[in-house]
Amino acid sequence: MADIGANGPLTGYRVLDLAQPIGYHCGKLLGDMGAEVIKIERPGGDPARLTPPYKDQVPGPERSLYFLHYNTNKRGITLDIASPDGRELFLELVRHADVVLETSKPGTMEALGLGYDTLASMNPAIIIASITPFGQTGPWRAYEATDIAGLALGNPMAISGEPGLEPLQAPGELAYGMASTYGAFGIAVALYHRMESGVGQYIDVSMDESAAHIAGYAIPHYSHEGVKPYRSSRSADVVDLYDAYRTKNGFVRLFIIPAEQWRNLVRWMGDPDPLTDPIFENFEFRRQNTDVVHGAIQEFCLRYTKEELYEEGQKRHIGVSPVNTPVEFINSAHTKSRGVFVDMEHPVVGSYKQFAPVPRFSGSPGRLVRSAPLLGQDNEAVFCGELGLSKQDLAALTAARVI
Amino acid sequence: MATLPLTGIRVLELTTGAAGPTVGRTLAEFGAEVIRVESRKRLDSHRGQNEAKWNQRPDFVKLNRGKKSVTINMSVEKGRALMKRLVSKSDVLVENFAMGVLENWGLVYDELKKVKEDIILVRVKGLGSTGPHATDVTWGPNVGNIMGSTYLWNYPESDFSTGEARSQHPDFMGGVTAAYAVVLALIHRKRTGQGQWIDSAQLEVGASLLGPKYLEYHVNGEEPRPMGNYSVTAAPYGAFRCAGEDRWCVIGVYTQEEWLAFCTATGRPALASDARFATHLQRTRNPVALRQAVEEWTGSRDPYEVMESLQAAGVMAAVVQDVEDQFKRDKQYEARGFLVSGDEPELGPLVTEGVPVKLSLTPGGVQGYSPLVGEHTQEVARTLLGLSPSEIETLELEQVLF
Repeated sequence: MADIGANGPLTGYRVLDLAQPIGYHCGKLLGDMGAEVIKIERPGGDPARLTPPYKDQVPGPERSLYFLHYNTNKRGITLDIASPDGRELFLELVRHADVVLETSKPGTMEALGLGYDTLASMNPAIIIASITPFGQTGPWRAYEATDIAGLALGNPMAISGEPGLEPLQAPGELAYGMASTYGAFGIAVALYHRMESGVGQYIDVSMDESAAHIAGYAIPHYSHEGVKPYRSSRSADVVDLYDAYRTKNGFVRLFIIPAEQWRNLVRWMGDPDPLTDPIFENFEFRRQNTDVVHGAIQEFCLRYTKEELYEEGQKRHIGVSPVNTPVEFINSAHTKSRGVFVDMEHPVVGSYKQFAPVPRFSGSPGRLVRSAPLLGQDNEAVFCGELGLSKQDLAALTAARVI
Repeated sequence: MATLPLTGIRVLELTTGAAGPTVGRTLAEFGAEVIRVESRKRLDSHRGQNEAKWNQRPDFVKLNRGKKSVTINMSVEKGRALMKRLVSKSDVLVENFAMGVLENWGLVYDELKKVKEDIILVRVKGLGSTGPHATDVTWGPNVGNIMGSTYLWNYPESDFSTGEARSQHPDFMGGVTAAYAVVLALIHRKRTGQGQWIDSAQLEVGASLLGPKYLEYHVNGEEPRPMGNYSVTAAPYGAFRCAGEDRWCVIGVYTQEEWLAFCTATGRPALASDARFATHLQRTRNPVALRQAVEEWTGSRDPYEVMESLQAAGVMAAVVQDVEDQFKRDKQYEARGFLVSGDEPELGPLVTEGVPVKLSLTPGGVQGYSPLVGEHTQEVARTLLGLSPSEIETLELEQVLF
């Protein structure tokens, strides 16, 4: 394997990816870091191909920008693993794979005769990762849940939005993202373990539990002090300095903990009373006196644009940054200098800019090697080229809607 | 107990805040020996400003359980020399100080390589280690607003600054992503013998989930706007008012079959033939009436009753849980043992989140309490640095091991 690390640290590993959106980001994290990810879609295509937004707002299975983002770097085949022929072909693929990623309801793979024990009996080194809303066990395991349900149960929604109004979901799929990230981490750990032991294992990831990890410190604080954070801009125990301040042209967020950064801010504001009192250097105290703190900072921020506050504030070593729109983020000098977006080509979408692999490795960096697969794009290469089916077999299985 | 997969891997931490410590915590849960290197001269913000409570912060526990703590004063040459000796005995260094701190200490990757050829360095920064804003002062909460998340996380056409969760999601997702990267670097090292350094930006980790939003602009020239609780495929969709003060349950009806099930489960079959709600399209065209129809039923019911009865009918429903619910009413956590009770030396019993990823052979888990400031200084100085008790005493008096 002369090319170890050539496309990232996972170069040479093969992943069979049966995931629905809850596990999209996981397959992407593996693919971006060099794994050969073979996305397996049902013969009619992954339903997420019909998720907006679309290229030019025209629906079509090759036009979903959502699908495009998450499936870049994946190869694509179609296969009905629930059919007898499809199952056999899938098992054949498992013999030559390192990881299977799946997101079906608990029990589904076993019912298809594709549970962990079956797959491991053919390939003891195989690693199976299931990313599901609630994990494989427990009374809620078969419940329906999309991203918003993870955010609801895990507490992030209870602290999002305005008091009295509807709690808000996140933009982007944060619960799916966190579950997928834990999935990728678990797979990496299992691969590392396998390098010594030679054996694979089964990985059970719960979105419900993953989402609970992004709600800050509510759980340990409640355990200790019995306090509950709630939706509020500026009055509760852990929220005041998270708030955004209005400027001449939008908002900035100021987040200050160390005393010297607080002193920097007070100096910049022209040493107003009573903020010069050293007692305000203690951020716990500031949290208990948000009205005073807030009013003074708000008045100050209204005198400037968000760009002015960002530039000057950072020069003064203060944790202030602008509330950007997505387009402002895209066009910022920092984003451009980091090469966050990379030019790609897709046969239907045309040229576009894809989000680059993160994080960045100095020795074995990830790469973008292919755009999202067209439906069944790699069928011939995989089924004929690698599994040895003839073109006639492939045509027959396609006609039978196995492939 | 089976040996955990990262047993034998030694990770040093020069960290503060949440993103850096989350990397070490995640690795510790799978067996890595994680040593926080900290100094009484300038402690982690999560230790707090009150010396009497340095070892008593619940937030610190969440971030640092299962680690060791060694105090080294990095502002003096002797301290930095000891740090290099620790690096020479370690596999990974995690750092998330402001850009320039490691440079000032002479601990950049090329210098670390001189003492440990295959060291893995992960630099966890709000905005990354390069670019015009690499030196920005950032914390998790003021990273989300740079990528567009804070702006988008709001009601449509809203005057509010944001509806973003008062949390710091880029820290936690950034931390776990960087832990993933560390394990990948360990795999690469095992295959090639080579270490490397990793530039991890919380900004980019968080922003990668907004990829479809950025494509709307790049491909269609559209500027994404705040959408509130919005789904293009479900209606009704969102959080609906239930009985009790500020109680809500999320509901999502994705198919016509689910809509019929919803009408039956809520005891109102007539709704199914109401022309305003007959199809998905009709339901999206009559959002106010639809919400009213849903809340007529949910408004007088406990959110768990709403969740259980809709789920029994195959309709997605999930309680907007607050933390008290998570402790007292979440049957799933209870069955899976998600909330883990630990015993902290000074704080006493404390519950934190468990590990959301379960590996069948090497399950991982919380490996112990969070370390007292300098709790392991003596042990590490003796065993890893090979110092004698009198040398240790001198270095403590000189405020080097401090």
